[in-house]
Amino acid sequence: MPTFDSDKAAEIHRHLHAHLPSDPALRVKALESLAVERGLVAAETIDAWVEAYAEHIGPKRGAQVVARSWLDPAFRARLLDNAAEAIKEFGFEGNATGHLKAVENTHTQHNLVVCTLCSCYPFSILGMSPAWYKSAAYRSRAVREPRKVLEEFGVQLAADVAIRVWDSTAELRYLVIPRRPAGTEDWTEDQLAAIVTRNSMIGTDRDLRAG
Amino acid sequence: MDGIHDLGGKQGHGPVPVTEGDAAFTHDWERRMWGLARAGLVKGMTVDWFRHGLERMVPADYLSFSYFQKWATNYLMMLVDSGELEFDEIAAGHTARRGAPAPARSLDETLAYQRGLCTDFSREIHAAPVHAVGDRVTTRSHTTAQHSRLPQYARGRTGTVIAHHGAHLLPDSGAGGVHEARHLYTVEFTARELWGEDADRRDTVTLELWESYFV
Repeated sequence: MPTFDSDKAAEIHRHLHAHLPSDPALRVKALESLAVERGLVAAETIDAWVEAYAEHIGPKRGAQVVARSWLDPAFRARLLDNAAEAIKEFGFEGNATGHLKAVENTHTQHNLVVCTLCSCYPFSILGMSPAWYKSAAYRSRAVREPRKVLEEFGVQLAADVAIRVWDSTAELRYLVIPRRPAGTEDWTEDQLAAIVTRNSMIGTDRDLRAG
Repeated sequence: MDGIHDLGGKQGHGPVPVTEGDAAFTHDWERRMWGLARAGLVKGMTVDWFRHGLERMVPADYLSFSYFQKWATNYLMMLVDSGELEFDEIAAGHTARRGAPAPARSLDETLAYQRGLCTDFSREIHAAPVHAVGDRVTTRSHTTAQHSRLPQYARGRTGTVIAHHGAHLLPDSGAGGVHEARHLYTVEFTARELWGEDADRRDTVTLELWESYFV
């Protein structure tokens, strides 16, 4: 059991800083070897988790949810009402989506998601977060100068568009619903899902393109 | 706590690594760290203890280490704290104190288990919510040395409640291993309230804030 002693945590961190090589590959290797030897985890279980997130859990899930929200107004209503429940229709619930909230972009509003205090992310629906999402630059600037950050991603907003930045400080996680591009009127759900980018579901991409 | 982790609004961090930072993993050890963390190594841990552990890292390490490098260091800290590991075992990379091997979980079992991890952090409490949607609320100006999810940039600021989520477990207590809930709200602040007159008048920032974060 943890001691939940904050000062003890800091003291252990200082000891690790002073006495352990910082090379992350070595630290993870030691951690894995020791965890397996102590019987805390099996190496095969780690393999399974790696495979689960490499092959099965990723942004294609979010893209499918978005595509269906474009095609099925009743699903869109359920998604906006309670996204955590709505994604169970796909079996996409899991890590960090117990309190998922979907927010929709409109002609005049753009949504951008960040976690300034750590790097909270809706893993089971978007997979692993990109490195930029966890960078100090994104975490520090997204709340203060979102328009400059969006420019760095190549996003130019029209003059009448307001930005709402969601800093996820609790266990709520956000999924941005981008707007459906013109020229996709007779497309299938799979065709639509293929053009939904991961960044558009975080808010660092806005205008999706038909093909 | 006013830690190095509280990055919102801090200046000087330069451009976002838009392209070179696009991959989820760039090294195999990052994949292993992710798998280790998902597998759940620390019995009795709360997510708040994990986050607070990151906040108590040596500040220079916090800023210079990559995401999974911080995780590896924090898991070592938590396992030492729990008595599972000793410093000399970490230095050696091996332990003589072997435990019974943990059961191996297959891919299908892992995927099924993962679906069960959509944890519900809401709790029923007797206290009625003090605020309702549309209320103006002002946050506290000061913080303690403990874990908190009220960032520095949103302290002493006034915003509008746009959602009430019932009561959720309070991270300030969870970091100390105490499970207690307070009413949780989404509060919207204008960019100008947070950053001054140079901020764009069209823009807003929302945060989830517990009732105890308000004056």
